[in-house]
Amino acid sequence: MSSDVILVIVVVTALAFDFTNGFHDTANVVATSISTGAARPQVAIGMASLLNFVGAFISISVAATVANDVVNSEVITPTIVFAGLIGAIGWNLITWSMGLPSSSSHALIGGVIGSAVAAVGFNAVLVDGLVGKVLVPALIAPILAFLVAGLSIGIVYRVVGRQRPGIVSRGFKYGQIVSGGLLALAHGTNDAQKTMGVITLALIANGSLGANADPPLWVIASSAAAIALGTYSGGWKIIKTTGTRIIKMDAAQGFSSQGAGAAVILASTHFGFPLSTTHVINGGVMGAGAAKRFSAVRWGVAGNIVFAWVLTLPAAALIGALAYGVSQIFGDGALGPVLVTLMSISLIAAAFARRANQGAPVPASSG
Amino acid sequence: MIATIVEGREMLETIVASLLAGVGVTFAFSVAIWGAGRFADLSRAERPAAAAMAATVTALALAVVGVAVVFGIVAMTSK
Repeated sequence: MSSDVILVIVVVTALAFDFTNGFHDTANVVATSISTGAARPQVAIGMASLLNFVGAFISISVAATVANDVVNSEVITPTIVFAGLIGAIGWNLITWSMGLPSSSSHALIGGVIGSAVAAVGFNAVLVDGLVGKVLVPALIAPILAFLVAGLSIGIVYRVVGRQRPGIVSRGFKYGQIVSGGLLALAHGTNDAQKTMGVITLALIANGSLGANADPPLWVIASSAAAIALGTYSGGWKIIKTTGTRIIKMDAAQGFSSQGAGAAVILASTHFGFPLSTTHVINGGVMGAGAAKRFSAVRWGVAGNIVFAWVLTLPAAALIGALAYGVSQIFGDGALGPVLVTLMSISLIAAAFARRANQGAPVPASSG
Repeated sequence: MIATIVEGREMLETIVASLLAGVGVTFAFSVAIWGAGRFADLSRAERPAAAAMAATVTALALAVVGVAVVFGIVAMTSK
């Protein structure tokens, strides 16, 4: 009974995390389409939301990696998964309030690793999977998106450089409807699957599923719905901020950066690499910007992203370990997770209240 | 040690697929726009045969983009 209560808490917390993931990432997915005037905000956000939902059903490779290749599912309990989620949400909240760009995906994996290490020790971590399927792809993917977008925009300017600007701009704006849609689809496939993976891990830990099981349909559907709803809800408030944060780019750059981001995320998803979609999209935007004019890119922002990238895994792991330690003070039952949930909700409410008093928040952390 | 942990073949395939898909689709779409621009110019210059060629280039390039997008999605779902 107690483990079922913890499982319900884990599922609700994971879906809440998924919702915030979509909420934060709306800006990344639709920013270039809106910035270049390729789509109106309402249309771009509605389409991104729908395609995130569809994308979540396309593949389960990333979910399998999160559930089976990062930590040893045989020693994991629902409480460990719960504490990992708290670690991820906690770090996202801290970076959001400090205006630091960070990755929800890395926070999620870091949180689960931290709580697993606190509970079982370092032998709970599958180092091969962590390095080979998470850390190395996480390092390569944004650089790859940077290169693909840079090469693409170089080719674009060579091919259409002598054409009338009007027809080129109009053409790439139409193209952005497709590339933006693909990016939203790619985002749904990679990011929604992380939540599916965590819920599946909790179900395995609870004995509700066998080891190495695939996510059940209800897990896929609820994760898809949560990220789609988050994407739809997030856009309306974040969109104003987005318009001022991103690099001013033309439609060809927007098309190249979205195409590069979608290509890298979809190819990585095929092999089950759980990426930070934010880092990949930012890599594409920077590549398209740098290829045209190196100084067009805000390299200070790039430095912040690298700083937050390095810090995210250990920091989320630390909070996850702390959450596990606190919940264990109250024994192995459901009381610990319930109290930690209440404490977390209080802290989140306090952070939002503080932000509301200071003014509109600037979104920082994402997928 | 890292080399043995990293799934080299899968990583390499990811890099090659991303480069081919990202750069290839953008190139094909650029050709489509180039063709559309030439079609407009040649039509204005009353050169229907050349304009028709430009329109054909645009149609072919758009077909390549469409096929590449569908192939990419199908390839991803087939694993």
